[in-house]
Amino acid sequence: MLQSASQVSPRIIAELAAIVGARNCISEPAALKTYECDGLTSFRALPGVVVLPESTEEVALVVAAARRANMPIVPRGAGTGLSGGAMPVPGCVVIGLSRMRRILEVDLENGWMRVQPGVVNLEVSKHLAPLGYYYAPDPSSQSVCTIGGNVAENSGGAHCLKYGFTTNHVLGARLVLSDASVVDLGGPVLDTPGYDLLGVLVGSEGTLGIVTEVVVRVLRKPEATRTFFATFPSTDEAGAAVSAIIAARIVPAAVEMMDRLAIVAIKAATGVDWPDVGAALLMDVDGPLAEVEHTAAQATSIAASCGALEIRRPKDEDERQLMWRGRKSAFAAVGRISPNYVVQDGVIPRSEIATVLREISRLSAEFGLRVANVFHAGDGNLHPLILYDANVPGEEAQAEHFGGEILKLCVRSGGSITGEHGVGADKAPYMAEMFTEQDLDTMGLLRCAFDADNRFNPSKVFPTPRLCGDRPGKYVPTPLEISGEAGRG
Amino acid sequence: MSIVARPGTEADAILGASPRVVYAPQSIDEAREVVALTGRERMRIAFVGGGTDLELGGPLSGLDAIVRTEGLGRIVEYAPSDMIITAEAGTTLAALQAVLAKEKQRLSLDPPLPERATLGGIIAANAFGPRRTRFGSVRDLIIGVTIIRADGTLARGGGKVVKNVAGFDVPKLMCGSLGTLAMIATATFRLHPAPENSATVRVPKQSAAGVRTLAARIKAAQLEPTSVVALSGAPDRFDVATRFEGFGAGVAEQCKRMAELHVAEGQECETLAEAEATAFWQEHDGARTQGALRVKIAAPPNGVETVVRSIAPSFETLESPRFVWYPTVGLGFLTGTPLNAKHSVRALTVLRAGLADLGGSAVLHAAPQQIRATEDVWGPSPAAFAIMERMKERFDPQRRLNPGRFVGGL
Repeated sequence: MLQSASQVSPRIIAELAAIVGARNCISEPAALKTYECDGLTSFRALPGVVVLPESTEEVALVVAAARRANMPIVPRGAGTGLSGGAMPVPGCVVIGLSRMRRILEVDLENGWMRVQPGVVNLEVSKHLAPLGYYYAPDPSSQSVCTIGGNVAENSGGAHCLKYGFTTNHVLGARLVLSDASVVDLGGPVLDTPGYDLLGVLVGSEGTLGIVTEVVVRVLRKPEATRTFFATFPSTDEAGAAVSAIIAARIVPAAVEMMDRLAIVAIKAATGVDWPDVGAALLMDVDGPLAEVEHTAAQATSIAASCGALEIRRPKDEDERQLMWRGRKSAFAAVGRISPNYVVQDGVIPRSEIATVLREISRLSAEFGLRVANVFHAGDGNLHPLILYDANVPGEEAQAEHFGGEILKLCVRSGGSITGEHGVGADKAPYMAEMFTEQDLDTMGLLRCAFDADNRFNPSKVFPTPRLCGDRPGKYVPTPLEISGEAGRG
Repeated sequence: MSIVARPGTEADAILGASPRVVYAPQSIDEAREVVALTGRERMRIAFVGGGTDLELGGPLSGLDAIVRTEGLGRIVEYAPSDMIITAEAGTTLAALQAVLAKEKQRLSLDPPLPERATLGGIIAANAFGPRRTRFGSVRDLIIGVTIIRADGTLARGGGKVVKNVAGFDVPKLMCGSLGTLAMIATATFRLHPAPENSATVRVPKQSAAGVRTLAARIKAAQLEPTSVVALSGAPDRFDVATRFEGFGAGVAEQCKRMAELHVAEGQECETLAEAEATAFWQEHDGARTQGALRVKIAAPPNGVETVVRSIAPSFETLESPRFVWYPTVGLGFLTGTPLNAKHSVRALTVLRAGLADLGGSAVLHAAPQQIRATEDVWGPSPAAFAIMERMKERFDPQRRLNPGRFVGGL
């Protein structure tokens, strides 16, 4: 999907360089290549120009300049996204927020922290750790992904089963709108009168504005955490154990499942000494000590009664971290057992896990492609990893087709086409599987209230551009589109 | 299709505006038809559930019809093993909880008056109770919604799985929107297990500073209560109740540690017997719903001393004043009946100025007409008002859904 390079006029590049400084304005084709895709590397497009502003004021000036030049704008965090949300559109200005990485304010008594969007997710918790606090959302990419990107994608992570997603942990945001004005949504104090625009912003995938500051909720660390790792003959028993634990009124902090192939890959990549079994669960319970001791004992005994082959408890924090590193490295680990793979992200009702996994396995045989399953079992968020070899003609297309079939299966089961990776460019065509034209049109109304120009991240999320009607700010094609040098989407 | 309708009376009035007609659709299809038909007739309409928050909002610029949701009380889908439920907007909270209780589950929302309060109303008014301490508000629990737009279009946002980031978060847009963007038809929520045990610990006679210290102490000790409420009938004297829920051992241990923490500081502290605990939570609900003036207060948790200083003048202008404060959340309600409207207005000015200094807000959830005449119930327009105006314009271009009632006269 590589699209041709597009030129931006030297006058505009000079204007942008004057705003952010020459070293923060990238227009050399070779350097632009760094920004041609995000974590979804099969989707690529060369941006017109990339700027790396260092303040809200600079972002606003860049937006104003792009607006005058009628250029689309694509915001970008660390570029770890897996749905092509940060993939440039031809002729666009990419606003990279990686230089805005300061922690601005910490207020533990009131339970919040104000950070710039380029702050890395894990840095927030590291900063708070000595104080006994942490930031709850923990996507597997947390050592590199940024808070701004998390806000755009409404990132989850293993521990969102108990603690919720980014949207439950963001209290406020400073936003640059498409008219270059700056506005604060929410803030440290709850329940600002008016519509919950912050709730709309989180998860909007960079289509509503550019976030330049975020107020996140910080939590006191739980008193105790108990972890166990349980192995099962197959995903059927492991799935039944998860359901039984939850039916016993236990809310685990996290329950992760890995199937045989995923375990093989993780072992190859990390050296954990996990046995070769059909499925494994990695589970955390946390909270006040007495509560946790009770729930941990209950959960392990339920796992045993559901057919667990072995139950391991880490002997110390190091061993616990090792278990979690194993799980969190699963995507990359699959690279050890296959030259290429597609990461899929779909959600099903938890009670459908066994049925859906069987169907995926049937599809796997039909397509002749192996699938490793790693997923957040507590909330039914599947991550099938479809293995293929790009050197075999047609396999990549087959893998993508297979991924699409899995998404349709998720929707048929009452689930969703994405639980945490976002729609981006990748899944925009599948939105119509899940939503009616009226549903999508309604979302379009939200978009138009924020960005009637369709300036931010156009061609993402929606299967077809949603125009904002005959009101001021109607989408105007870029000069490149008019000249036919570049298409949209 | 013949839709249940009757002429409006003064008893149907919302904030002084009486409708000509009251519709009571018995299905979502009928509701769509009502919304569409009133659209064709350019009628200004308001949606009414249990009527527990009807005094919230500014004066309507006009009202032709009311659409009541009492005929929309069905459970659409309940999947206990997936811990989600979808129900029509007119379902009362109590009716929903009764269904969930059979499966030892609950919706972790506990605003007052659950027998009357409906799901649609709770969403529209962003109503909450003490359990917000642990479980957040309706925005944190809603996962899907179907709405009827001003032209009668039915649209869905979110879904019925807890984890889902496909598309914009339409459910959250509905939270607190007070029926000014669309009619809420159904909603889907994530559920929690009903706890095996529950216990309430009371620490009486606390000053504002004491309330602040208590909240900090709970955090420092890593206790995880599901509710913390400070209740007062005099400006600086609170009874603080902390509720722990979960499995027996965990609840007992946390109550014990709570007591140790306070006894060590020379404070009174007791775990309440069940009847006393029930009485306390009823007193809380009573304090929240009493009086002709009810002010929702938002301020940072550590600003409680300033909040108390700022409400002191209001206390003097009210008959039976009560102040409910959620110390870990930073929200509260001041309630009572004004003895003299002019004095109350002056006291509110002091309150709002004090809160503004803290970055907080005061919204009048109920107020007598004499106070409304001079005070904007919403206070100053929020920073993002321009976007809100455009949102209203997109969803309700004819400005006929609860017109004028929302922030800034939207």
